[in-house]
Amino acid sequence: MGAVKSKAGEVLEEVIRRLRYSVPVKGVKALGEGRAVVVVDRRFLRDAVLAFFKAFDGREPQLSSMVGIDESGRLGGDVYSITYWLSLNDGGSSDVLLGIRAYVRGDDPTFPSVADVIYGSNWYEREVRDLLGLKPVGHPDPRRLILPDDWPEGVYPLRKDFPYYESPSTEPKYEFKVVRDANVVPFGPYHVALDEPAHFRLYVRGEEIVEVDYRGFYSHRGIEKIAESRLTYNQVPFIAERICGICGFTHSTAYCQAVEAAAGIEVPERAEFIRTILLEIERIHSHLLWVGVACHLLGFDLGFMHVWRVREHVMWLAERLTGNRKTYGMNLIGGVRRDLLKYRVEAILKTVERVRREFKELVDMLTNTRSFVRRCEGVGVLTNALARKWCVVGPVARASGRKIDVRADHPYAAYGRLSFKVPVRSEGDVLARALVRIEEVFESLNIIEEALDTIPGGEIMADVRDLPEYSEGVGCTEAPRGENVHYVMTGPGNRVYRWRARASTYNNLPAARDMLVGYEVADAPLIVASIDPCYSCTERVIIVDVRRGSAKVLSRGEFERLSIRKSRRCA
Amino acid sequence: MSVTLKYPFERREAPEEYRGAPVIDGDRCIGCGACSRACPPDAILVLDDMREGFRRVVLDVSRCIRCARCEEVCPTGALRLSREFELATPRKEDLVQVVKLRLARCVVCGNYCDFTVRQVEKALEIVPEDVREAARERISLCRACRRRLLGEDLANLSTGLWGGILGQEG
Repeated sequence: MGAVKSKAGEVLEEVIRRLRYSVPVKGVKALGEGRAVVVVDRRFLRDAVLAFFKAFDGREPQLSSMVGIDESGRLGGDVYSITYWLSLNDGGSSDVLLGIRAYVRGDDPTFPSVADVIYGSNWYEREVRDLLGLKPVGHPDPRRLILPDDWPEGVYPLRKDFPYYESPSTEPKYEFKVVRDANVVPFGPYHVALDEPAHFRLYVRGEEIVEVDYRGFYSHRGIEKIAESRLTYNQVPFIAERICGICGFTHSTAYCQAVEAAAGIEVPERAEFIRTILLEIERIHSHLLWVGVACHLLGFDLGFMHVWRVREHVMWLAERLTGNRKTYGMNLIGGVRRDLLKYRVEAILKTVERVRREFKELVDMLTNTRSFVRRCEGVGVLTNALARKWCVVGPVARASGRKIDVRADHPYAAYGRLSFKVPVRSEGDVLARALVRIEEVFESLNIIEEALDTIPGGEIMADVRDLPEYSEGVGCTEAPRGENVHYVMTGPGNRVYRWRARASTYNNLPAARDMLVGYEVADAPLIVASIDPCYSCTERVIIVDVRRGSAKVLSRGEFERLSIRKSRRCA
Repeated sequence: MSVTLKYPFERREAPEEYRGAPVIDGDRCIGCGACSRACPPDAILVLDDMREGFRRVVLDVSRCIRCARCEEVCPTGALRLSREFELATPRKEDLVQVVKLRLARCVVCGNYCDFTVRQVEKALEIVPEDVREAARERISLCRACRRRLLGEDLANLSTGLWGGILGQEG
């Protein structure tokens, strides 16, 4: 373990040395093994980020997060910082996470955009503009991203002088893309496939999708602001867990890891193992849920019901281990709240054995169902080159040939002490995404068994007192949907000064355009669902014929029937 | 094997580990408010009526997220999460529990203090026996009297409770 860690330190030194060749570096702040922040003048911010991607092209460089901070509390005055968090992901031998930071002042809050080259930074840069008023110069699509259509210009909610309970409003406006000679198929905000609000505008010629526009963040709840304004550090894990109703535990884990890194808290090994076991239980339920939904979208409801029947045993297990089927509520800073008692271990082993046996039967059935395979094959392809430019994560990345997985590349919890495979496929289509997830279910079952075999005894919670002020840390986890990154800067009074939670779908969803263009309208629900996106609610679609100006409301059932009819043609 | 039940005609009991709706045992609650400070969604409020001399611990189960932090921090085991999960009701008041506790009176001025009679009892139970009698006359003080007496004590360090404590440390 020690050897691996010092390797990360060496690689980090190399990274910083290479950066110094390209840009003048003002300062380096070490944040622990393989973690650091490099400060550059904002004029060189773009050059520094691009230099990182260019220099380490062979090591799967990744834009893992970007954080804008109102620094008035720490530095005083009208000062903001922008930090691009970049990682290398080549299987743990270079466990590096580097922040490239520039400071800007309120009278000229601009910085050079990298979104024309690193597509993945598109949303991040629009987000700091919306929430903090820091303006990316040269951004290819500088429209509003997060704030609602009726939010007034020039009001920035994440600035410290903005109170968390305010909610200003003005005349709503939003400009969608205009595409000539194409009809528009609005898709959502009430989402057909996954029952959560997001609005896709499909521009179509006949059946073919020629362009896509996206408007989301309808369920943006401002939880970072709430956490910074009125919660203490041990209250935040519970709101972090509610970021997602499917994979919430991985969020509370990432948050806790960020605070633990910032405060230098050693989590007891046993707690690390318990976190790992629960994270894998969560992944299994999440992947089974997804396989079921995918079957349903294809009109294969028998598959849907069977997969969810198997999944139910995982839910019951989680209920016994944590007190609830979902939102486990097990994490606090420093460890976990419930121990793995002996009878619980037996319950886990029994469920693992059952899920492995029953899911294997289902997978055999599914992969031998011609309509399933043919409907998913060659649809919604994301090439490896685009997957890298968009910085996609999780099964979406691994299905496009990117061998990245936080558990292997940046081992956290107990993953550094366990062995497992990272399934990768090269096709980049819906089928590849499905098969990667299916293989991961079996890997997760193995991880749980190995963790139960090797779990050490001892405490499950570290003794945590007051947090240091203005200390920063980053926590990364591999959620079922990919890399989650939580950044925390602690503040006075045992609160977080800045908390930036980045869910995996944030990196995957912007790439949906490149998966949809060129395919048919009937493929849209399946392709969007193949990302396994994580937003929240009910469903209804309107088809607008631009030339005739007429609108037709397409119910969820009708839209699904479109998809199901196409499956029949494939059979 | 089917996992679907014909709910609500067929029921499955929640397992014993389940975190259901919280309930306060009014006989055990001392009104210290630890639950209220730990509660992330502000489902528990502590409201003092200084005129009538009551503290109300108000638990609104409709705001509760079942995290069980209150159960963890409760010093007397008064707050417990039940296994109850069927809470649908047309009346929101059904989801609110109020525990009403008497506030302590200041032994000097007779005004109500911002803590309860039961908190005083609990505190006396915890302090070491040899200072219990001395503590008894110092605990039930309102803020104003406490501040005044503390000043007097500090002016005369060699006597009284403070003298004892400072003497041990010094």
